[in-house]
Amino acid sequence: MQSWSAKPPRSLAPWALLAPNLLLLLLCLAGPLLLLGRISLMGYEAGHGMIPIWQLSNYSKFFFDPFYRAILGGTFLLGAEVTALCLLLGFPLAFALSRARGLQRAILYFCILMPLLTSTVVRTFGWMILLGNNGFINHTLLRFHLIASPLHLMYNVTGVIIALGEVLLPFMVLSIDTSLLNINPSYYEAARNLGARGPRIFFRITLPLALPGIVSGCVLVFTGTLSAFVTPTLIAGARIKVMSTIIYQQAMALLDWPFGSAIAFTLLLAILILFAATLRFSERRRTS
Amino acid sequence: MRILLRFLNGAILLYLAAPILVVVATAFGSSAYPIFPPQNFTLQWFHQFWGNPELRDALRISALLSSVSTILATSIGTLSALALVRYRLPGKTAISALLLSPILFPAIVLALALLVAFQRVGLTQTFTGLVAAHTLLITPFVIRLVMASLAEFDPSLEEAAQNLGATWSRTFFRITLPLALPGILAGAVFAFIMSFDELVVTLLLAGPELQTLPIRIFNYVQYSSDPSISAISTCLIVVWLAIGIPVYTRFLSVKHL
Repeated sequence: MQSWSAKPPRSLAPWALLAPNLLLLLLCLAGPLLLLGRISLMGYEAGHGMIPIWQLSNYSKFFFDPFYRAILGGTFLLGAEVTALCLLLGFPLAFALSRARGLQRAILYFCILMPLLTSTVVRTFGWMILLGNNGFINHTLLRFHLIASPLHLMYNVTGVIIALGEVLLPFMVLSIDTSLLNINPSYYEAARNLGARGPRIFFRITLPLALPGIVSGCVLVFTGTLSAFVTPTLIAGARIKVMSTIIYQQAMALLDWPFGSAIAFTLLLAILILFAATLRFSERRRTS
Repeated sequence: MRILLRFLNGAILLYLAAPILVVVATAFGSSAYPIFPPQNFTLQWFHQFWGNPELRDALRISALLSSVSTILATSIGTLSALALVRYRLPGKTAISALLLSPILFPAIVLALALLVAFQRVGLTQTFTGLVAAHTLLITPFVIRLVMASLAEFDPSLEEAAQNLGATWSRTFFRITLPLALPGILAGAVFAFIMSFDELVVTLLLAGPELQTLPIRIFNYVQYSSDPSISAISTCLIVVWLAIGIPVYTRFLSVKHL
């Protein structure tokens, strides 16, 4: 990038411009996260509150207690399920989007952006109306005698997957669309000139070159599921517990901040590792 | 094959739009709880929402909180974007990653971190605390949009002004700021929407006196069903689409996302 300055005002100028933002990050991000890490190592006793000692028992409780280990496993399984759903539905849509031109692309793009600009609470509320025992889906299926009794879609994992899949699908579509658009059209011409046909072109050119978009889309959806709080709370209520909902429960209802902090730190670490791994993956691809 | 794909994509788009369509439709239905498809057209839920002091109060708090946070975030973010685009800085990539990082963290983790920190300094359940948290969360969006718009225009315009003898501040106010203004406005609009819709962090920090609109909606749909929630949601959907889509398509085109 071109730099402003034939004559830079002062070499300290950019730091002065950055100062308010860095101060904000120090006070509202770095400080609080450090404190969170420290508290996750403290003890807790009901009635006494936090005990300022150093220990790892909050982490060992989360990883070794069968109840909490099931929640850890369940959260990651939910992430995998939602990611699979989004990939399955997102790829055809991204494929169509990347091929569309002009008005058609504008309309498709609008349909995909519309959910992104609508708050998650509102969209989840819509799913509650659709998925309930007297909701539209069950009502319709019952009326046409396709089922004998209402399907249980609310207050279980099925409903959470359906709703979260919808909430996170735009990220998958936009990320795959980007990498499909980046494919040089001359590759397709070359392949056709060499006699390759539709499916072969798709599997040998389209799919491998779309891989970076697929990977980053999957990471966005997976981490989005791990951190999702609103949709699991509203759709599953107290029945299904995931990491984010037990963090909330520990922090707000049970007031066991040390244990809540340990779970929060584990979640944070899992997500940062995933992002770092993706970054490594995309850098390796770029250099090779 | 092509027709099959088209049909499949139609179904996927319907899945994507379904909850939004349902919320909008139930806002106009006459039954006492939101059912789809709605029977009999009515506007009473919009009146009901407007007559509900809890919801109206929440709307006021949300509007005030988002406005103050947006003004702060837009100022802070614009300065940062200028520093990143216009100056040579050691470790620029790392700095910009750091500045954009608040969007990467799970909201519930940031919420708990801010809760334990603000508790120590008495900022929980205060307007100041909420403004600080929101400013942290929305500044990255401003930085991204302003950087995108600054990168678009030619730095030689600034050089020309300086060569003609303009001082640094004159160059800034007469050249840089006007040219970056569309990006700054877009960033402010986007930041405002993000702040207005924020739920998780606000939920942990707000307390009973500062219930924002998303918190009220969250509590209502959890414990009762009331079509006036559909009505207020419909208003939000319409306003956000009207101001958000132009910003999105102009600046957050897929390559910036």
